[in-house]
Amino acid sequence: MNADGADMRSASAASSGRGLRVSMGDLRAAGRAGLVSAAALAASTAAVGVLESPAVGIDDASPLYLVAVAATGILHGTRAALVSALAAFAVYDVLFTEPRLTFSVADPREWLDLLLLLFVALVIGRLVARETERAREADGRAREAGALFGISRRLAAEPTLRGAASTIVGDLAGATRMIRVWISLHDGTSHDVIADTTRGEPIPVAASTWTLMTGGDGTAPHWVAIHSAAPGHRPTIPPEMELWGVPLKADGVALGTLWSLRPRASGMPGPEESRLLAAAANQLALALRREQLDRDATEAEIVRQSDTLKSALLDSVSHDLRTPLASIRAAAGSLTDPAVAWTDDERRAAAREIDAEAERMSQLVQSILDLSRIQGGALQPELEALDPVEVVEPVIERLEPLRDGRSILVELGALPPVRADAVLLDTVLANLLENALRHSTPGTPIRVGGDVRGGTVELVVEDGGPGVPDEALPRLFGKFYRVPGRIRGSRPGLGIGLSIVRGFVEAMGGEVSVGQSPLGGLRVSVALPIAPEPPVP
Amino acid sequence: MTGRPPAAPGEADARAAGAQLLVVEDDDSTRGSIAANLTAHGYGVAEAGGAAEAIRSWELRRPDLVILDLGLPDRDGSVVVRRVRAEATTPILILSARDTERDKVDALEAGADDYVTKPFGMAELRARVAALLRRAAGPAADAEGIISVGPVAIDLARRVVTVHGAPVELTAHEYELLKVMLSQPGRLLTKGRLLRAVWGTAYDQEAHYLHVYVSRLRRKLRAADPSDAVRGLIQAEPGIGYRVRHEEPRS
Repeated sequence: MNADGADMRSASAASSGRGLRVSMGDLRAAGRAGLVSAAALAASTAAVGVLESPAVGIDDASPLYLVAVAATGILHGTRAALVSALAAFAVYDVLFTEPRLTFSVADPREWLDLLLLLFVALVIGRLVARETERAREADGRAREAGALFGISRRLAAEPTLRGAASTIVGDLAGATRMIRVWISLHDGTSHDVIADTTRGEPIPVAASTWTLMTGGDGTAPHWVAIHSAAPGHRPTIPPEMELWGVPLKADGVALGTLWSLRPRASGMPGPEESRLLAAAANQLALALRREQLDRDATEAEIVRQSDTLKSALLDSVSHDLRTPLASIRAAAGSLTDPAVAWTDDERRAAAREIDAEAERMSQLVQSILDLSRIQGGALQPELEALDPVEVVEPVIERLEPLRDGRSILVELGALPPVRADAVLLDTVLANLLENALRHSTPGTPIRVGGDVRGGTVELVVEDGGPGVPDEALPRLFGKFYRVPGRIRGSRPGLGIGLSIVRGFVEAMGGEVSVGQSPLGGLRVSVALPIAPEPPVP
Repeated sequence: MTGRPPAAPGEADARAAGAQLLVVEDDDSTRGSIAANLTAHGYGVAEAGGAAEAIRSWELRRPDLVILDLGLPDRDGSVVVRRVRAEATTPILILSARDTERDKVDALEAGADDYVTKPFGMAELRARVAALLRRAAGPAADAEGIISVGPVAIDLARRVVTVHGAPVELTAHEYELLKVMLSQPGRLLTKGRLLRAVWGTAYDQEAHYLHVYVSRLRRKLRAADPSDAVRGLIQAEPGIGYRVRHEEPRS
């Protein structure tokens, strides 16, 4: 049905209603118009005959024919009205004008009457018919507008395009003489039917289909027959049916086709049907395109974000991993250099340096791994009831070497157990305490507190360090963010500690918030749900 | 994560010195460094680069302790754990770059005694080795059936627990739990192992019992200890279990 192997057979303008093809339906319509017209003429003739008879004695009853002309015009349009005007003229001439039964007219005044009758009949017939056609057209446009409105509303209201599409095809089948309507999308190789009024039935294949051409240059939509000569294309369509397709195209991108099936006997789709199908196809195509662009934009955004993350990671890694590596290589290189005369103390100092820098690198690697577990969605917390005190104490003990004379005040009181993952919560508290230790000078206090707030336990880590200005608070959780202008301590971090904290806490169903501490520095609070008290034997 | 546990006091103490160790590790330079360091601290060290070699060496030498890497080129290190456990209680210290809790728990449940994650500090490794060797060296309880760790003593015959000599009231489950932990100081005991030992096999998924009981135990022991020496006696290994810090008994 695509350009491949298809050839155009004929083109016909359907919009004006005049097709090269005259179908059975057209013939029947013409026949009906003729019958109505003849009946009206006969009735008028009989009435005129009665009125002009000597018994009644009306001189000229010819205006009665105008009724017949007007009626024909209302019922069957301009052409029928004009034909019936001419017929009325001829009949009156032959039957009621002397000499009768001939076209000749004896009295020149009668000629005037006859010509007047013809003129008025033509004018009235045309006026009446045009009015009626306009009214009908307005009706049609109103119906079309209604149908289009329905389509846009469905596109706006349905959460998914597929959902909207399946109601739209139903609407279209109801508003046109199509007996089955479906939408098929193609992405180059495969076809995907996203909506079908007769779901489950196989999609018919035809050797020849009609395609609605909607010129972008303002030309009226018209149907073009397309022969599909693709090999292996076996038609499955019943012979009395025809396939009508409207391409779904937006921004010059072909997205699919709005197909419909229609009995051959119904003839060409009327202008109204064609317009409706074209407009529906247009709206569907725009919606499809919008969806496609949204999808592309989301993907592009993901790529962009991960690119930003990657470059930030690269920056950090290149700086924060290279610095300890440089120290290690320098120390190790000197140690192995036979030309350097080391004292025992110097040798030990160099080795200690290597050990300390390796430790720092190992922490950075752990942080990067933690972060990538969060990014990769690989976190599967094992939630259990944990006593906050039991989690906090080992962390503080482990960080003893970093304490540097600072006191860590633990005020946890009697807290209910929290629902958390032991390993993740341990990392969270270690990161927060390390952060507090790293960013405060020796001698400033650090406090770990806990409170019950609603259904949660709020664990607070705060310090009396220099703190973080208000405007920087919201950015603290960003990756690789370090408060600008801050003199870094002897143990600079990667700037990912807090984003790990947030990733882990959220994975456990908790929340992290930051603020200013009454101690003067940063206050980070971690709210975790209270665990239901487990039964203990 | 951070910090190194402080090196155990008296690393090269009399009981550990001269102990024969088997270091199973496929990376030559890591194995060489470990061996050199442990040799320098007075241990006798044999080396193996794979599981088959490790099993042969173990059968030949019967070392006092095995340091074992899990990711070996020929077979998984757990094969060695099972082979050793089939006939001996020789302490096994796992050394591995696999750091998920699942891996650690699996190795410990298979019979390993402790777990050190790569990268590690040499001082930490030596401290763990020394703790395991001390536990294996002598019976946990002395001749009178008393286990002492730091200020805490547990009298198995009389079912009495004392801190600095003062008795502490414990419930039956608390007592059982403390007894299981104190009998194996230095050993990393998985939650499953502790639950099975105290509550029975049907309870080995009920980790919350443990958390509740351990915090009660800690509270009771600390309440009886004005010197605060019991703080940190029971160490939690998040996600895995508990380890009792190995300490010389005090009076």
